[in-house]
Amino acid sequence: MIKKLNLTMLAFFSLIATSVCQETSQDFLRSTGKIYVVVAVIAVIFFMLIGFLVYLERRISKLEKNS
Amino acid sequence: MRQNWWKILSVIIIAGTIFGGLLAPIYPGIESVQPSRIDAGELIVMQIKGYNTHFAEENDLPRVWLKLDDENALGATQVMARNERQLRVSFYIPKSFPDSQQVSSLSLVIDSKKDGTSVLPGAIFVRHAGNPDQTELLLWKKDPIVHLNKRSFYGFPYRNILVETIRNTFFHIPMWFGMILLFAGSVFYSYRYMRSERIEDDMRAVSLIHVGILFGVMGLVTGMIWAQYTWGKFWSWDVKQNVSAITLLIYFALIILRSSFNDEERRARLSAGYNIFAFVLMIPLIFVVPRLTDSLHPGNGGNPALGGEDMDHTMRMIFYPAIIGWTLLGVWISQIIYRFFRVRERILN
Repeated sequence: MIKKLNLTMLAFFSLIATSVCQETSQDFLRSTGKIYVVVAVIAVIFFMLIGFLVYLERRISKLEKNS
Repeated sequence: MRQNWWKILSVIIIAGTIFGGLLAPIYPGIESVQPSRIDAGELIVMQIKGYNTHFAEENDLPRVWLKLDDENALGATQVMARNERQLRVSFYIPKSFPDSQQVSSLSLVIDSKKDGTSVLPGAIFVRHAGNPDQTELLLWKKDPIVHLNKRSFYGFPYRNILVETIRNTFFHIPMWFGMILLFAGSVFYSYRYMRSERIEDDMRAVSLIHVGILFGVMGLVTGMIWAQYTWGKFWSWDVKQNVSAITLLIYFALIILRSSFNDEERRARLSAGYNIFAFVLMIPLIFVVPRLTDSLHPGNGGNPALGGEDMDHTMRMIFYPAIIGWTLLGVWISQIIYRFFRVRERILN
């Protein structure tokens, strides 16, 4: 599930990033310069950490329920 | 609370890394130059594209040079700012060069009060003329590059292709440092287990390995995202990408190996030995091998020094604390996993 989320995010951000790149070569006012790649990196770290916490949460809950 | 100060510290550092890493501007730099190839003895008009530049600033028209080396440079004959990011500059390229090459590469140097100094090395290639004119040699010394302005504000260096993605330095690289430090910690506990045979030491070692693997996977995935927009592909079979993947496979194998055991003590004993071996294997794989061959990664393929990435002191100020912050977060997570193991042990017995 996490893998699917990562893949959809990759597709989403790569779409934004490529359109941003084309814009900067003509549009000099908005110098975004691939900032969305940084956003994607931070988002991956954040969501993977959250995903891991959710996984931990589930296992501990199962343990608490079984005892 | 006294025992948990380092957890709070890690959150503060990571928050600071995210804010500082995202809010500081990229220093003004030179994005592109047209034309890129000319013949000597010509008058050329260059179109220069800047990034985060202020070419149209009042009373601050940039001074522009084409630099051959420390002693020879050509001053622009005319500079016009079309807008904040576009400059049109005229140069006369003399027929004579101080050296006796066939082709020379000139660097572009732009200096202004607001933007400081920006350099694009190898901006333009000049083919030497067949009919050199010795009197024109003086033109190389006429406008020396002097009185350069220093930038007064805090920002990160501009790098071609990278541009804003240089900020990934604070997120992608600490993942790897974190992984190595967490694995080092796990080796400590593996060694402790071999001496003490206390199952708690094995639990601590494994919890650190789990988080180390998590950080390694995050480092690999974020690296692939960065690579796609820097090198053109998610995976280039670059040597550092390869050895990082191999390292992760080795540690994945340890986790899988553990699951094949029923006897706790035998499992712990084998894990301890395997873990120490895996760590000893990882060190030359990650640190030595990439420096021996060609690599796309900065700091490898002939380039020296750990942390010798393209970094300013401004970046190092955030980068080193970031490593500490992310690693402490990893220790926090590993502690939670350890406590989970302990509680499960207590419940099952």
